[in-house]
Amino acid sequence: MKSKASLPLSYRLGVTSRLLAAVVGGYVLASLASVCLSFWLPLSRADAVVSGMLSSFVFYLLAVIWCFACRSAARAWFGVLVPCAILATLAGLAYWMGRP
Amino acid sequence: MKEGFRQAMAWLHTWAGLIFGWLLFAIFLTGTLSYFKGEITHWMQPEVPAHAVDDARSVAVAQRYLEQHAPTAARWFIGLPDSRDPGLSVMWQDKIDPGRRGNFIEKMLDPVSGEQLQARETMGGEFFYRFHFQLQMPHPWGRWLSTIAAMVMFVALITGIITHKKIFKDFFTFRPRKGQRSWLDGHNAVGVLVLPFHLMITYSSLVIFMTMVMPASIIASYDGDTRAFFNELFPATDNAPALGQPGKLLPLAPLVEQARAQWDGGHVGRLAVNNPGDVNASVNVSRAGSDRVVHDFGSTVSFNGNTGQLLRVSAEQSLPMAIGGSFYGLHMGHFAGPLLRWLYFICGLAGTAMIGTGLVIWLGKRQLKHAKTGVMPFELRLVEVLNLASMSGLLIAIAVFFWANRLLPATFAERSDWEVQSFFIAWGLTLLHAMLRRCRRAWIEQLGLGAVLFMAVPLLNALTTSEHLGVSLAKGDWAMAGFDLTCLGSGLFLAWAAWKMQHRSAVQPRAERARPLTLKGEVH
Amino acid sequence: MLLALLLCYAGFVALCLSLDRHHGELLHSKPSPRRRLGLRVGGWLLLALSIWPAVHMAGWSRGLVDWCAVLMLSGLLLVLLLPYRPRLALILAGVGLLASPVAAFATL
Repeated sequence: MKSKASLPLSYRLGVTSRLLAAVVGGYVLASLASVCLSFWLPLSRADAVVSGMLSSFVFYLLAVIWCFACRSAARAWFGVLVPCAILATLAGLAYWMGRP
Repeated sequence: MKEGFRQAMAWLHTWAGLIFGWLLFAIFLTGTLSYFKGEITHWMQPEVPAHAVDDARSVAVAQRYLEQHAPTAARWFIGLPDSRDPGLSVMWQDKIDPGRRGNFIEKMLDPVSGEQLQARETMGGEFFYRFHFQLQMPHPWGRWLSTIAAMVMFVALITGIITHKKIFKDFFTFRPRKGQRSWLDGHNAVGVLVLPFHLMITYSSLVIFMTMVMPASIIASYDGDTRAFFNELFPATDNAPALGQPGKLLPLAPLVEQARAQWDGGHVGRLAVNNPGDVNASVNVSRAGSDRVVHDFGSTVSFNGNTGQLLRVSAEQSLPMAIGGSFYGLHMGHFAGPLLRWLYFICGLAGTAMIGTGLVIWLGKRQLKHAKTGVMPFELRLVEVLNLASMSGLLIAIAVFFWANRLLPATFAERSDWEVQSFFIAWGLTLLHAMLRRCRRAWIEQLGLGAVLFMAVPLLNALTTSEHLGVSLAKGDWAMAGFDLTCLGSGLFLAWAAWKMQHRSAVQPRAERARPLTLKGEVH
Repeated sequence: MLLALLLCYAGFVALCLSLDRHHGELLHSKPSPRRRLGLRVGGWLLLALSIWPAVHMAGWSRGLVDWCAVLMLSGLLLVLLLPYRPRLALILAGVGLLASPVAAFATL
C-alpha cells in the first residue's frame, strides 16, 4: 500500500465494491454451493448436508481470491454472481425434481 | 489490482492480516493456553488433590449425590474425571413445564467422598478456552466474530502462501540480526514450517461452528426443521419421553461397564440420565473424546434406566461425519498424550508468533518511510498502540489473571468474576499505557512488567500456598510444577526481549537500519 | 517418536544441503548436480521413511498426527540451529542417522 497523500476516490470505491462482492457475494456463493451439494450428492440427507457445509468454505475462499485478483470491481461482481445464478438454478432443479 | 495476481494477493494478505491480526493474536494465544486448561485449572485450585481415577466409584458417588439433591430433575449429567482433569462434575436440569427450558445447575464433587468440592471458585483454564471462541461476548455474537476471524485467517494463510514466491528456496532461510529482513524471515519460518498445523487449526475452527455460520444447506434440505437434522445426526439425543409413572433408577456403574464392553475397553466421557425418577428413564453413556483422533460425537450406548435394557448402540460414523469428526478431534487435541500436547502447544505458539511478527512487520515497513520526516501519521500511531496492547498487553493481563487467583481470598464469594475482571482491567490499563507512552519506552516497560509478573509466579505460589515447586516436584505433581516452571520460563523470555529492546534503543540507528531492532514477542 | 524425529531431521538436513545457498553456508562449496540430486532423493526418502515408525507405534490416525508434529518440530529445530550453530546442526544429523538403527531396534 502506498502512503500517498490521499488515494483517489475511484480507487477507494473500487476496493469497497470488491470487498462487498467478496464478503457478501462470497457468502451467498458458498451457501448456494453447500445447498447444491446437499441436494445433488448421492448420500443420505444428513451426510449430504454435512458434506455441503464442510466444503462451503473452500468456495468462499475462491470467491474472495477472485474478487481481489480480477482486473476490475465489475468483473469481481460478475465472477461471483454468475456462479451464484448457475448454482441457484442447479439447486432449484434438484429441489423441484425431489418434490413430487 | 492491475498489478498482477501475486501482488493482488500480497495486498489482500497484508490488509486482512492487519485488520484481524490483533483479534487473531488473542484468539491464538488463549487457544494455545487452552491445550493445558486442565493443568491451569489444577494450579488455580491447589486445594483439589489429584486422586487415582476410579470410574465405578465416581459414578456411584455422583448418583448418590444426584439422588439426594436433584431427585425430581428432568435430566442429570455426570462428567467423569480423567488423568488430566481430576474433577467429577454433576449437572442437572430442573423439571419445568413442557416447552420451556429448565435451569442448569452444575456442581463439582470430590470423586472419593461424594461431597461437594471445597475449593476456591475459579474459572481456571476454562476461562482461556471459552474466551478463545466466545471472546467474552454474549451468545452468539462472540462465536460469530471468532468464526469470521477464522475465515479471514484462512484467507490470510492462503494468500500468504501464494505471495511467498520463494517458498521452497527460502524454506530453511532465517537470517537473524538483519532488521526487517529477520522479522520477515521469522514470519515466514513459523508460517511455512508449521503450515500443516496452521491450515488444520484454521479450517477446523470453521468446521466446528459450521452449522451456525453456514446453515443454508440444513434449512434447504430439511425445510427449516433444524431439530430434525440434529436428530438424524445424533440419534442418541432423541430420547423417550417421561411416562409420568415413578420408577426406581438402577445403579449406573454396571451400565457403564456394559457400555465400555461395547467399545473394547474405551473410556467413558459422560453420562446423561433423562427423567431419572420415571419408569421410562433413559441412560446415555457417551464415549470419552480422548479415545480417538477422529471425534465421534454420537458414540453413545443407551439403556433403559429402570430395566437396564440395552436400547441402542450408536452406529459407525459415516464418512462425512468422520471427516467432520477428524477436524473437531484434531483441533481439540483431546487424544494427545503429554508429549504430543506440548507439541500442540509449541505449534500454537508458532501460530501466535506468525501473527505477531506479521503485525510488527506491517508497522515496521511503514515506519521506515516516516522515520525521515519524524512525524507519525495517526493511522500508524493507532497500529502502534494496538500492537502493544494486543501483544504485550495481553501477556500482562494473563499474568494478572494468575496473580488475582492467588491474591484474592479463597472464600471471597465473587472471586471467580473478579479474577476475570482483573484480566480485563489490566488489559485496559495496558492500552492506556500504550497511548500515553512513547513507542520504544512503552514496549520496554510492558515487556519488563510482564517479565516480572511471570517470573514471580512460582514465588507467589510459594508464599500463598503449600504447593510450591519444592513440594510439587517431590510429589510428582507435574501439572503444578510445570505451570510454575513455564511461567518462570516465559518471564525469562520476556525479560530477554525487554533487554534486547533496551539495548538496541541505546544504539543510534543508522540510515539503512532506520528502525533499531525491536525484538519482541514470541519470535525465537 | 524418537526414531521418526531422527529420520525427519536428517531428511530435512539433506534437503537443506541440496539448496545452493545452504550448501555454501554449511559445506563451503557448491554442490554438483549429481550431489544435489542425491541429496534431494535421499532427503525425501528419509522423510517418507520416517512415517513408518510413527504409524507402527500408534496406528494410522494417531501415527500420522505424531508424524506431522515431529515433521514440523524437526523443521523448526533445523531452521533455528542453522544461523546460530550450523556445525551442530550437521553433527546432529550425522549422529541421528547413526543412532537410528539403535533406536529402531529398541522401539520396534
